[in-house]
Amino acid sequence: MAVTSTPEAPVGDLVLSLRGIDKNFGAVQALTDIDLDIYSGEVVALVGDNGAGKSTLIKILAGVHPQDGGTISHDGKTVSINNPADSNNLGIATVYQDLALCDNLDVVANLFLGHELGRATINEVEMEKRSWGLLRQLSARIPSVRIPVASLSGGQRQTVAIARSLIGEPRIVILDEPTAALGVAQTAEVLNLIERLRERGLAVVLISHNMADVQAVADRIVVLRLGRNNGEFKVADVSYEDIIAAITGASDNAVTRRAQARVDSADATAAAATATDTELPKEERP
Amino acid sequence: MAVPGTIVFPVSSRRNPGSQSSLREANRARILDAITHYGALTQVELAAVTGLSPATVSNIVKEQAATGVLTTTPTSRSGRRAVRVTLAREMGLVVGLHVSNRQLRLALADAGHQVLAERMLPLARDHRADSELDRVMLLIQDMAESVGAGPGEVLAVGVGLAAPVDPRTGIIATAGLLRGWDGVPVAEELQARLHRPVFVDNEANLGALAEYRMGAAQGVRQAAYLRVSHGVGAGLIVDGRVYRGGSGKAGEIGHLTLDEQGLVCRCGNRGCLETLVGASALAAQFPGSHGDVKLRDIVLRADAGDARARRVIADAGRHLGVALAGLSNLIDPHRIVVGGELAEAGEMLLSPLRHALERSTLATVSGGPEVVKGELGERAEVLGAVLFAIDRAQISAGRPEDAVRTVAGAPAPDILPGIGGIFPVRTPEISPERGGLAS
Repeated sequence: MAVTSTPEAPVGDLVLSLRGIDKNFGAVQALTDIDLDIYSGEVVALVGDNGAGKSTLIKILAGVHPQDGGTISHDGKTVSINNPADSNNLGIATVYQDLALCDNLDVVANLFLGHELGRATINEVEMEKRSWGLLRQLSARIPSVRIPVASLSGGQRQTVAIARSLIGEPRIVILDEPTAALGVAQTAEVLNLIERLRERGLAVVLISHNMADVQAVADRIVVLRLGRNNGEFKVADVSYEDIIAAITGASDNAVTRRAQARVDSADATAAAATATDTELPKEERP
Repeated sequence: MAVPGTIVFPVSSRRNPGSQSSLREANRARILDAITHYGALTQVELAAVTGLSPATVSNIVKEQAATGVLTTTPTSRSGRRAVRVTLAREMGLVVGLHVSNRQLRLALADAGHQVLAERMLPLARDHRADSELDRVMLLIQDMAESVGAGPGEVLAVGVGLAAPVDPRTGIIATAGLLRGWDGVPVAEELQARLHRPVFVDNEANLGALAEYRMGAAQGVRQAAYLRVSHGVGAGLIVDGRVYRGGSGKAGEIGHLTLDEQGLVCRCGNRGCLETLVGASALAAQFPGSHGDVKLRDIVLRADAGDARARRVIADAGRHLGVALAGLSNLIDPHRIVVGGELAEAGEMLLSPLRHALERSTLATVSGGPEVVKGELGERAEVLGAVLFAIDRAQISAGRPEDAVRTVAGAPAPDILPGIGGIFPVRTPEISPERGGLAS
């Protein structure tokens, strides 16, 4: 099943690549020319202020909204994600902030909701066994899989939601604000879980406002600001202040300067190209 | 200063040495000592450890359980029914905290060394003392709640930091190794939050203490513990005690110069062992890989058969072996226990290490030091912190002479300067040869 049988995925392969993603809602340009690469065995944090476009971007990945422009390639092949089923088929699992668990059902029922095992009758025994297996692999501290989710703590619910996302053997797990509503102890649980997913060779996209959490578990930080890319950092060589500067737009650092230089040179070549374009026809004129 | 929750024994008379009652007194002390030292034991094990007859053990345990000092729980040992003996939990709880460069570990144990709850939290690079100590507070409360105890039951906290700690002040002795914690009086800061005595030491010293008392170096009075993790450090057991040196930097093997022309280390010197085998040095051996290459990743890759990862680990083993040869010539341990994250690689690391060590160390007739992997894994330091707190706060089942006394604040400088008092009062070993007689 999901995690047990999956061999250690090769680390560091480019799984999903987004190029020049645009999205608008009527007159509102939500995303402009967004690039994002997702590698296996890596935690990439997507950070930005409210309204920066983080949620819109993951909704494109989850198949909630199709993008208006740009390309998505999966393992080098261009794909289109038009609905959640497409996203699922590409191995993308999304855990939303509200977790979307059924409070009145027990842990097993929640994990297998919609994918129940067994043909004529539901194979409860097998489902329970697999649930224990999965939760044990995640070192989850859940007292029983036969208690309603309503009686679990915030961290335990988050764990159940993440475990449920793993049922379909995903390659990419997207976590939207997994620690936002949790206390310190439960946050610790979720952060450990993220490390565990990374060790399994899964790609994790983490959306968070908490820089301490991001810096603790992420390998790479992608900053969005007002619907555009505003810097990409390796956690190993960036300070807290740099990230905040990029989020708020107060940054004047190497990354933004380099990006600016790239834009400038692109403009220059474009200008040169248009210049030759206008000249060429002249010569060809009889 | 008496601590709530502990039982102070009435001072008993030993006016008649050799009398029946003083003999029983001594036997009782022997049993309580064994339980504090080894943690939970079954009655059979108690008899073996103390050298007392099973009947005597059974009688004393029964008597002590009736007075509320010990608790017995039924358990099974090799398939047979047995009685597990622990110090009663009312004896109080102790917290061990291990702060390393990228991770924080907490353990809540009772005075019988029984770990009741554990927590782990990944940390940001260059984490800061104030915010992390706040989180530690919340985690301690959470752990205490999870075992049904109030935060008031916590008697003492032991802290291990990933930097040399001056035993006289409890403050980090070398700046730059755990940047957010430099110059922070951790003991006082945590004490202000918890109102309990806090004792601070270097992580490798605590790892050594744990491996010596309950792990791979048990009973080896001349031993060294090597911690290969984000940084590299060693804890030294000399004559059965942790040796800390004058200012706490004894065993800082990671900053031994191996290459005069090498790279500049984070400590400010050049060519330290850490510039060759530290986490960032090893990660640099994997150029072009995406994201952060962590030590665990390297070990996982090596386990999966990645030739480059295996070679990197083997090379690290060689460098460590050369450094350990120097250490071995200086303090001559009988056994070297290797712990930390990289030790998870097992023989991939240890066999090149042994080879390099044998080649460079001074040959002795009895052979070189034995190199083994730690038994406690990544928990060694946090367990060591628990033991350290128990020792320093002198939380014990209490013989009259160590009627509970807590040393507030930083480790007391008066306890054997240089050689920090792991057992300021007791002798650490209970030798079965002494039989049932009082010594």
